[in-house]
Amino acid sequence: MNTDHVPASGTPVRRKEDTRLLTGRGRYVSDLVLPRMRHVAFVRSPVAHARLAGIDTTEALAVDGVHAVVTGEHPALASVALRAQSALPGYVETDQPPLARGKVRFAGEAVAAVVADDRYLAEDGAEAVVVDYDPLGPTVCAWADPAGITDPVHDEAPDNLLLSRTFRAGDVEAALAAADVVVDRELTTNRHSGNPIECRAGVARYEAADRRLTFWSGTQVPHLVRTQLAELLDLPEGNIRVVAPDVGGGFGVKAVLYPEDVALCLMAIAMPGIPLKWVEDRVEHLLAATHARDHRYVLRAGFAADGALLAVRADVWCNTGAYSVYPWTAGIEPLMAGGLLTGPYKLTDYECTVRGVATNTSPSGPYRGVARPATVFAMEALLDSGARALGMDPIALRRRNLILPADVPYRMPSRLVDDSGAYEACLDRAVEVFDVRRWRAEQIRRRDAGERPIGIGVALYNELTGLGRAASAGPRMPFRTGHDACTVRVNPDGGVTVFSGVTSQGQGLETTMAQVVADALGVAYDAVDVRIGDTDESLWGFGAFSSRQAVIGGGAAHLAGGHVRDKVLALAGALKEVDVADLDLRAGQVHVRGQEKPIISLAEVARVAYLQSDRLPEGFGPGLEGTEFYDPIRGAFAAGAQLAAIEFDPTTGAVRILDWVCVEDAGRIVHPVIVDGQIAGSIAQGIGGAMYEHLVYDEAGNLSTGTLLDYLMPTSGEIPELRLDHVSTPAANPTGVRGVGEGGTLGPAAVVAGALGDALGVELDDLPVTPARVWELAGGRP
Amino acid sequence: MKCPPFEYHRATSVDDAVAALAAAEDSKILAGGQSLVPVLALRLARPTVLVDVNRIPGLDGLDVRDGVLHAGALVRHAALARQALHPLAAAAAASIGHAAIRSRGTLGGSLAHADPAAELPAVLRACDGAVVVAGPDGTRRVGADALFVGALQTDLAEPEMITGVELGVPDAWGFAEFARRHGDFAVVSVAAARFGDRLRVVVGGVAGVPHLLETSAPSGTGALDEVAGALADDVDPSSDLHGSAGHRRALTRELARRALADVITEPAREPT
Amino acid sequence: MRITLTVNGDRHRLDVEPRRTLADALREDLGLTGTHLGCEHGVCGACTVLLDGEPVRACLLFAVQADGCGVDTVEGLATPDGTLHPLQEAFSVCHGLQCGACTPGMLMTAAHLLAVEPSPDRERIRAEMAGNLCRCTGYVGIVDAVASAAGVMAWRPREDHD
Repeated sequence: MNTDHVPASGTPVRRKEDTRLLTGRGRYVSDLVLPRMRHVAFVRSPVAHARLAGIDTTEALAVDGVHAVVTGEHPALASVALRAQSALPGYVETDQPPLARGKVRFAGEAVAAVVADDRYLAEDGAEAVVVDYDPLGPTVCAWADPAGITDPVHDEAPDNLLLSRTFRAGDVEAALAAADVVVDRELTTNRHSGNPIECRAGVARYEAADRRLTFWSGTQVPHLVRTQLAELLDLPEGNIRVVAPDVGGGFGVKAVLYPEDVALCLMAIAMPGIPLKWVEDRVEHLLAATHARDHRYVLRAGFAADGALLAVRADVWCNTGAYSVYPWTAGIEPLMAGGLLTGPYKLTDYECTVRGVATNTSPSGPYRGVARPATVFAMEALLDSGARALGMDPIALRRRNLILPADVPYRMPSRLVDDSGAYEACLDRAVEVFDVRRWRAEQIRRRDAGERPIGIGVALYNELTGLGRAASAGPRMPFRTGHDACTVRVNPDGGVTVFSGVTSQGQGLETTMAQVVADALGVAYDAVDVRIGDTDESLWGFGAFSSRQAVIGGGAAHLAGGHVRDKVLALAGALKEVDVADLDLRAGQVHVRGQEKPIISLAEVARVAYLQSDRLPEGFGPGLEGTEFYDPIRGAFAAGAQLAAIEFDPTTGAVRILDWVCVEDAGRIVHPVIVDGQIAGSIAQGIGGAMYEHLVYDEAGNLSTGTLLDYLMPTSGEIPELRLDHVSTPAANPTGVRGVGEGGTLGPAAVVAGALGDALGVELDDLPVTPARVWELAGGRP
Repeated sequence: MKCPPFEYHRATSVDDAVAALAAAEDSKILAGGQSLVPVLALRLARPTVLVDVNRIPGLDGLDVRDGVLHAGALVRHAALARQALHPLAAAAAASIGHAAIRSRGTLGGSLAHADPAAELPAVLRACDGAVVVAGPDGTRRVGADALFVGALQTDLAEPEMITGVELGVPDAWGFAEFARRHGDFAVVSVAAARFGDRLRVVVGGVAGVPHLLETSAPSGTGALDEVAGALADDVDPSSDLHGSAGHRRALTRELARRALADVITEPAREPT
Repeated sequence: MRITLTVNGDRHRLDVEPRRTLADALREDLGLTGTHLGCEHGVCGACTVLLDGEPVRACLLFAVQADGCGVDTVEGLATPDGTLHPLQEAFSVCHGLQCGACTPGMLMTAAHLLAVEPSPDRERIRAEMAGNLCRCTGYVGIVDAVASAAGVMAWRPREDHD
């Protein structure tokens, strides 16, 4: 028997999730059915800003099958508010009620909740609720003149400014004065959102006898939700169980504790024994799940004649919407924008003022890439303008300014420490795979032949992943998201169950954690079963955001696996009277190093540990499990480069992507196919944001893109074949991985805009790049 | 997004459907449902009765007589796309949505819905076609030019129902459209049909009804640009989220050129 | 209204309100939650099932309209002993799924495509799968999976409904 352990990491093992998801046996919150369960539909405000003059529920309560109609003034809800906290100076704390109280602040805000026997009846009831709105002046644009504000969104912030911070390094004015070339850009980016295929969903059940609340939720952050619910609901944290089973996509949108979630739980407490289910529909999702990327950048950059980037000065406005998103705060986008605007480029003189401005629109929250699809667009636009002004090749100009391996660790002007330096390696590889020379030749050929022009777009980016306690300190929230826990348990039969703090919304974390534990412990991948997403099962995890889980959750899994391996070997050594230093655990068998025949199996060791205490040697207690936390302290920067050749038809404005190459440094790769899947999926979302997806409000604050007939997500007909490649510089963490979930979204806006500029010789200042906009920029020939 | 309550009547014949439609205050025909059901799910309409015409026998026929395709109202887009009797209708139907839309959506339903950006209304007009309509007082025939009154508005009265469609088979035809994504409603579409020396070019997406240019089929060098230019000058589109007025006008010119490429034959240019 | 649905070969008698969609009848009344709802207005394709062998949006069809018809859902793809359908196998191998929310609709759309067009090229696959939105994969793995399954497929829509 060959007992050589074949490492699971680095190989495309079959995903543990696949069989159930492929056969229709997934377990999503939307699928959950419980005895006595009732269904909730929310009444949502049709106006952007108004005082609530009255809510008449009489007719709704008369609808067959309707059991209750709850408003913000209901005693169970009236005193509760979500209040996103930060100790940053100048941050204005504001309250978000679970259901609107006193006034509504955006179109789509939940005003009342109807509880009925099924969702059809709940919607019948919701339609029958009569709400009297007393209109207030709406603010929609975050960079409108504050003098025009008649009715601030929150009284605490008369100018609607919830947060402002200036990042400063060096002397930007002096550096600009010394520059040979100065370029200015004013850019706006398009509001869009995650739109997972499964919308938000929750089921809340409260049992009064033991004061226990169970909340099944499609959340990315179950432990954080438990902590927050305990605080908001005044329940002992141990009495709350949050379960995130299979979740149909998240992308950041589900890393928020929403007022609807809190309302559902509060209502469940008020209706003990009756599980309440809310499944958000797509119209609700477009209206009221968090939006993102509604920004404006006013930029100035200075370059030396040789292309050296000398200075960047930036003024940034981020539309935070009607509420400071809980618990991340209105700082989530502006702070990320200011902290990472300069990307992978060396710079000493930097000044950037970021603002989070409240408006009467849906709140902005975390969305894959948080702010950086916009900041990369902004930074690369500066470099494209610089290249044009300097008469330099845009790729050469970028290369001139990259943070190189010799510079690492590099202290960015925002004081974040870049540990990557793999940007040039990514760029080199991308240039090679893409074959820039071939596309430049094709560009010239087309120009000479009078054929449709093509442009080459390029984006380089750094993605701060797996933020440890130091890197996650920026927003000064009352918690630091640096660590996760993992428990590895060897069962009495020698099988392995892992209780990990990570969560999965499609990223295949059951698989990845199993691979890491299998290798760290020394068992086969198939012997490992992974439980995630249930706060009653796993000890702790902050959840899925900031491309953190492979780094932090993976680190904890590796440490826990190693810890249990040590225990197994120690017990095996004592049982067999062999020096533990000579022992090795491979494929579930304990060997004396260098010997083919095992001395004892893991199953046998486990049997002793649990069932045969009489055989336990001196000093050994029963049981065989271990729990470890991991915190990388800083984080791992992941480098990326994207290049594309894109055709633009000046006659129709049609945009056709001819080739798209992405090279990323994901460090050491645990599951190559999952990693590529993350990159491809994030590029596709980036392309969606760059070319199709746009949440548009009219001046009154009504969402004009309220269905998927108007909010356009790209299909297989639009996303091109993607050519993915890798460089690998292992990070300094237990598994050597760098986070990979978000990087792909960072490039496309810059790539498409850059290609457009390259093809048509124009500068694009706004997104998305639609045919109408291309046609206009190409001269608008009627 | 659940539909409001309604009563359901599964019609067994055209007469049964018309009677059921007439019997209720606010009734609606349920055919393919691909436009109606979303409207109901959004609760933008609340008919009291839905009259399901899908199982009325004999409304899915397709045959050509005297150069005219006679199609039943229940011919699905998928079937229209598959048939070879009327290639323009086939090309237009193949451009509608996706397989799961085409397998349900019906010819009669699309014409009755009268979406100005839809493919089949443009084809009906290009072919100077007509619909056969059954009502309480018998049947009548409504020509394409009279059928479309405005966006989502037709000449049909409430208890009437389209039972058949007549589409002249053109001697030459062309169809082109421009959509944001694969399968989307076109921003602009152009259907062109030549019958002898008569040319009908119809633009969808630029007005409340499919916009028609009728002319004697031109020929000679520059004829293509001339017609495309005339059409672009003729339309008066408005702007929305998916295209500005100017962009739609430019699309009209370009798509007309593409649609007309096989319809107007220009003399071969002298080799230079 | 009383209706009869034959789902994956099993006959069910149901009493439904006329407004109940086929998707809700499958999910809520029959417990076949493999069919997912992503938009309920006919755009995302997650609820795609086969009605008498033709692909339909189950959110745009009332259950009463399917009375007497045969419906194939994702639950019917694998054999009763659990052997995966070649498309399911290919989706797993090619990473044509991540969260699984769009997957049932993707599988049913692809099953129909390969039934009527056994050897589509990648461009055809991209065109024909464009009625189903996926938010996770960037479609790369999905196109790979359909292309790869096309080679090994012998499956046809069931012909055993009455």
